[in-house]
Amino acid sequence: MKKNFVGYAVLAIALFLIALLRPYAFFYGVQRGSLYGLVALPLALILGIVGLLNLAHGEFLTLSLYMTYLLFNEWGMDPLSSPVLTVPLLLVVGLLIYKLVIERSLKTHHLNLLLLTFGVSIVMVESFNIWWTSRPRNIYVPYASTSVNIFGVYVGGYEFIYTIVVVLVLAGLLLFLKKTRLGQATYAVGQNPKGAAIVGINVKFVYAFVFSLAAGLVALAGALLSVRSSIFPHVGGPFTMKSFSLTAMAGLGNLPGIVLAGIVLGIAEEFVKSIPGYTGWADLVFFVVLIAAIVFRAFGRREG
Amino acid sequence: MKYFMILAVCVLCFLLPFFVGAYLIHVLTSIMIFLSLALSWDMMLRTGQLSFGIAGFFGLGAYASIIAVDDFSIDPLWSILVAAVFAALVALALGWIVLRLREIYFAITTLALSSVFMIFARNLSDLTGGSAGKVLYESIFKGDSIKIYWLVLSVALTVILISELFQRTRIRFAINAIRDDEIAAKCSGVNIFKYLLFVFVLTSAIQGAVGALYAQQYAFVEPESTFSANFLLLPMSMALVGGIYSTLGPIIGAVVLGLASEYLKLIMPYGHLIIYGLILIFTIMFLPRGIYGTIANKIVVKR
Repeated sequence: MKKNFVGYAVLAIALFLIALLRPYAFFYGVQRGSLYGLVALPLALILGIVGLLNLAHGEFLTLSLYMTYLLFNEWGMDPLSSPVLTVPLLLVVGLLIYKLVIERSLKTHHLNLLLLTFGVSIVMVESFNIWWTSRPRNIYVPYASTSVNIFGVYVGGYEFIYTIVVVLVLAGLLLFLKKTRLGQATYAVGQNPKGAAIVGINVKFVYAFVFSLAAGLVALAGALLSVRSSIFPHVGGPFTMKSFSLTAMAGLGNLPGIVLAGIVLGIAEEFVKSIPGYTGWADLVFFVVLIAAIVFRAFGRREG
Repeated sequence: MKYFMILAVCVLCFLLPFFVGAYLIHVLTSIMIFLSLALSWDMMLRTGQLSFGIAGFFGLGAYASIIAVDDFSIDPLWSILVAAVFAALVALALGWIVLRLREIYFAITTLALSSVFMIFARNLSDLTGGSAGKVLYESIFKGDSIKIYWLVLSVALTVILISELFQRTRIRFAINAIRDDEIAAKCSGVNIFKYLLFVFVLTSAIQGAVGALYAQQYAFVEPESTFSANFLLLPMSMALVGGIYSTLGPIIGAVVLGLASEYLKLIMPYGHLIIYGLILIFTIMFLPRGIYGTIANKIVVKR
């Protein structure tokens, strides 16, 4: 506990210094990091409860981005209201993939599961490539390019919606897991699937539900991201890795920690980007974080 | 008798260019490139560690060999050795860290490796030519496809030999023990980490050498295509389809899928990776032991 406290204090001081010295990096980092957190929460949910690392996670995001784009282009639907349709759609897609591919292999070795989701990810990327070609697409809405003035620093205003939504989703998830019957069942399955089955919880249903719910949550992130990012087949890929880094950093089952880790990663990336001549190296940050977090934990476990 | 047949097959493979056309030679060369990658992936998998690092070390070797030839004017043939040594050194340095990880952690860290190497290739533009890549004046042996075939064949045979040695010598006991039950292996006094590091470095060296071969054949490297998922997905599918944990399995898979992939490229030049993704999924779901594993199983059962 005391060690944790020192860690948080160092972190807080580092963040404060960055905010003071490079305010742009700080605010952009908070925005970017909230987005990472929003995408990482569903991945952590699947990893924590089903015990399955879904390598196709980023591709769910890509799919939801394309869906939002289609709704905007064909029906003129506003991206922020499109979750009404994209969330149910992704819920179904998640359920289908779970039922068709994953459920029957759950009993086998879990490296097989990893390879399976890797296969799903490749099939999805290549399908996007064939269907929509690799041409990047964009959605333009006027409200996405507003800016706000915070203590004399002008930053994009739209992106703060990530921060708001991630807090709401986090609160919603925590309330759901603690207060509802289904949530408590889900939590129990995550703790001990065999024990949960013994006390009469339908483990299979919970797994399917969690997988589907995670895909639905990704659709929410896709709708928010769609107006600020180009949409192309590989757009979601890096999010899988980043989400996993965050989960490894925060530890399984620590949902608020994942959002915090996301913000720290976001700020670190923006900080590297803000150093002239090093913009291209920002993508390396997550790898350093991943290695550091995992190795730290691995060594900790070995000693413990 | 058995060794005589193996020798006959090897001699036949060496003499093949005198009998078949240039197109088939090209196809066979590319099959053997992927065969070596598939076997090297399987060798790592035999220890129970799922590595997604093939494409990363492949690209690393490709870059090392092109840079060695272009900037240090090393002979192209020696540059392949340079690439193997370079990949081995990088694997040795990284192995100290990543081999302490297990299962999903090891897999995802190796998956990240290729994007990390790609970031280096893109950003160290003085050395690597940045995102435009690097082109050599001419390819190895001045592009003589028969000599390239012989070179690739000798590398492939070496890899097969190494894989067989893995199956036959004392190393096999250590590897199998680690895969089956790591804690039990540790308790019996097997130095797990040493063996894992040895296998990781060796397979990475193979992947680096194969990457160098491939790059020298086309005399060019470029971040996107050199670190492409192609060089990860195809070998993995081959090993899985043929049958993992064996030497013969990946060879069978490489021949079957290699011939199929040539045909696929002809009829579906765009997005043929989707087929490999599907092959990967269906193999794991319905044929987890692969072609060789299933047949071998049947024979054993009949006896």
